[in-house]
Amino acid sequence: MATASNGNTLKVRYFDIDENPKEHYLNAEKGLKSWLFTVDHKRIGIMYLASIVLFFAVGGLLALVLRTELLTPAENLMNAETYNRVFTVHGAVMVFLFIIPSIPAALGNFLLPIMLGAKDVAFPRLNLASFWIYSIGALFTLVSLAVNPIDTGWTFYTPYSVQTGSAVILMTFGVFIMGFSSILTGMNFIVTIHKLRAPGLTWGRLPLFCWAMYATSVIQVLATPVLAITLALLIMERTLGIGIFDPALGGDPVLYQHFFWFYSHPAVYIMIVPAFGVISELIATFSRKTIFGYWAIAMSSLAIAFIGSLVWGHHMFVSGQSELSTVVFSFLTFFVGIPTGIKIFNWLATMHKGSIDMKTPMLYAVIFLFLFTIGGVTGIMLGAISVNVHLHDTYYVVAHFHYVMMGGTVMAFLGGLHFWWPKMFGKMYSEFWGKISAAIIFVGFNLTFLPQFIMGSQGMPRRYYSYIDQFQTMHQLSTIGSYVLGVGFLIIAVYLVHSLIWGKKAPANPWGSRSLDWMTSSPPAHHNFNYTPVINNGPYDYHKPISEFTLGIAEDHEHGESVEKAKEETKA
Amino acid sequence: MAHATGTVESHVQHHFKSSDQQFSSAKLGMWLFLFTEIMFFGGLFVAYIVYRAWNPELFTLAATQLDTVLGAVNTVVLIGSSLTVALAIRAAQFDKQKQIINYLLITIFLATVFLVIKYFEYTHKFDMGILPGAMYTFEGIDHPKANVFFSIYYMMTGLHGIHVVIGIGLMVWLVLKAMKGAYTSSYYTPVEITGLYWHLVDIIWIFLFPLMYLID
Amino acid sequence: MSAHHAIPLKTLLSTTLALVVLTVVTIAVFYLNIPAPFDVVVALFLATFKATLVAMFFMGLYYDEKFNTVVLIFSFLFFFVFIGITLLDTLFRESSISIW
Ligand code: HEM
Ligand SMILES: [Cu+2]
Repeated sequence: MATASNGNTLKVRYFDIDENPKEHYLNAEKGLKSWLFTVDHKRIGIMYLASIVLFFAVGGLLALVLRTELLTPAENLMNAETYNRVFTVHGAVMVFLFIIPSIPAALGNFLLPIMLGAKDVAFPRLNLASFWIYSIGALFTLVSLAVNPIDTGWTFYTPYSVQTGSAVILMTFGVFIMGFSSILTGMNFIVTIHKLRAPGLTWGRLPLFCWAMYATSVIQVLATPVLAITLALLIMERTLGIGIFDPALGGDPVLYQHFFWFYSHPAVYIMIVPAFGVISELIATFSRKTIFGYWAIAMSSLAIAFIGSLVWGHHMFVSGQSELSTVVFSFLTFFVGIPTGIKIFNWLATMHKGSIDMKTPMLYAVIFLFLFTIGGVTGIMLGAISVNVHLHDTYYVVAHFHYVMMGGTVMAFLGGLHFWWPKMFGKMYSEFWGKISAAIIFVGFNLTFLPQFIMGSQGMPRRYYSYIDQFQTMHQLSTIGSYVLGVGFLIIAVYLVHSLIWGKKAPANPWGSRSLDWMTSSPPAHHNFNYTPVINNGPYDYHKPISEFTLGIAEDHEHGESVEKAKEETKA
Repeated sequence: MAHATGTVESHVQHHFKSSDQQFSSAKLGMWLFLFTEIMFFGGLFVAYIVYRAWNPELFTLAATQLDTVLGAVNTVVLIGSSLTVALAIRAAQFDKQKQIINYLLITIFLATVFLVIKYFEYTHKFDMGILPGAMYTFEGIDHPKANVFFSIYYMMTGLHGIHVVIGIGLMVWLVLKAMKGAYTSSYYTPVEITGLYWHLVDIIWIFLFPLMYLID
Repeated sequence: MSAHHAIPLKTLLSTTLALVVLTVVTIAVFYLNIPAPFDVVVALFLATFKATLVAMFFMGLYYDEKFNTVVLIFSFLFFFVFIGITLLDTLFRESSISIW
């Protein structure tokens, strides 16, 4: 007997997991159409995964081009104008096409319903629509590249974005459309978490990844509409000349920055909070320990979502906003450090005295802790007005946000990708090459971005295709580092593709994890579970040996058939 | 109206356990969507407030060009349409097929009246040279930023108007489905949800009316 | 409380009546020419009251799961955050602070 979240008592049966599923979501249906028009959250997740990997490659190649231009102060590959376009496209692709959908839309879609013991997200068709909206938005941005690549920087600041001849409208319209995809995903996840938890899965038993997705979804729903109206007004500004943001017509460009950052600062939490969720799972699993401070970690995500929407003006300290607001924004910015710090300390406390197993995902988690802490602390430094006036728009800022976005989110994404790879595809990757490439990426990353802190603090401004000779050594170190990074990612691509084709078959629970996503076969069944699972343990109950760790099956009136089948199969 | 468990009705999708669960999920989803709508319009309200705080005299001057009577009539029209859409939902809850359709048709009619009035307001202004943005040529308002006021006016009422048009589209679709008898007391989620949307369109107008037409 | 609550006919009608009356009051107040900024305050107070009526009785929040009300309240809260903090800039551009 177990007690469901609604207080009803349910009869439960124990079952074993099917280690060799004959039918699973990958082979349930065949053909391209069965993918493009699927409403299965797992397939939609995989399609997102493929898309974001593609865009990461595009953005990454552009980055290598940028770094190659900066090898010497001279004009190596391109002139200043082309350089402007390349860094804009790099930034916009990485932010809007890669990092924002990365963990939520790819991993989140795949995992969230499984972790909740649900058959799908609350609105499966909306979920598919959100993927298609994303694709259409992406198409617009690609068309804008063919027409006249935009050169405003990913922030599209007025008045330049009103004056430039590049295809601002196409690009921003693409981003506008993709915003709706993000909103739909967020809505879907919030409703799914509220309404579709399996019996016994109380709020206190939610895996921390779900809490992180919840906080992320809140930010998505809250902030993205403001981006939409901002870009809509920008498009109107260009087409009709409405004069709200354009100073030439009586408008106020600083107001544009308020609008833009009201979305885009919370957006950095859309990027990092899912990463926090992944890291919580990795650290608990590979430390073989109950997570330390479950509620502190869960609630700090929500606290970040809230405080994070009060601090946008720290991007505008030198924009001409009032002194009063500068002081207030600086003051509030420091508060973001508190929930973030709470998380870091809880993870460290989880690792403390755990039996740590340094598999590749855990390696990435540790790299994350190291790099993200640097990124976060430099963010706090940038939040101090007097320091910011000196460092604003220098490479110091560039280094800061790459430490958080790449050192934080991308590392967590890689960790999560390796961690759930066996679950998603039913294949193991090469642990040896996994560790090698993680090490290469760690070295390459620091070689690329540490010098940027140094030259930034010495005054090297961002967004220039050339520089004074004094900075040459630092720029060259950075460029070499970026090549090392490139090699690291190439190795990952090779062994992951290899594993897809020739990889060893993965067991259902290769890491001995305790959360629900590992209590189904690898790859999962078409509808995740062929019965309604009843949760009678916490997701981090590592004090129980795995042999005693069990799930129940609810006697289910409504899906009587499938329950009968499950009972037979599991011979409880 | 709660359902006896035991049978799965045909409208319940496979990943929901019951009709109630599906209904309350859809409703929560819609409320979250309305949240995004409020933030979406919220951006325009922010622009409005900021510019009004900067140029209070401009807003007093410019509002004289807006027709208070037409604005007031439209407010009442929208309130009426909110009532009829609520009555359509009620009809569905009591399985009155015919009434669902009738009330929706009245709502569509009222929404159209709103748009027609809006059309006359717009064209009247266009004739005077009060055009959005850079095309603004009107000289009757002695203020350098008069164009900005009307940009905000057109953006806010225009976006609201687009929402009215979308609402009409949704309700036409509901009528077509209702004629096939798609909605009963055990399943009327689309009617309920469109109703929520329509009420929000009303609420936004309730704020727009005093903020645009009633400035002195 | 079931989500499928049929709202009584009397409630719907009296809500409509209240909304129309409040619209008339709003316009009457406008012609009273209350000095600024109180005219805006009164107008917004009335509009908010009307919106609350719509949300509670037309949209059924009064009968509904409480969390839907929470969602609505949060949306207004975040709107106030947006406008409130933006005004800290736009209203104080000219003045410099001398606390040090
Ligand atoms: C501890 C939390 C953080 C604080 C206090 C913080 C603070 C700051 C500040 C003050 C700036 C403005 C620097 C300037 O332009 O003068 C900045 C820039 C930036 N931060 Fe952070 N940050 C934090 C975390 C993050 C995270 C987690 C991300 C992304 C995942 C991020 C991404 C960015 C980006 C992209 C920029 C540059 C935007 C641009 O101008 O293009 N930050 N940060
Ligand atoms: Cu920020």
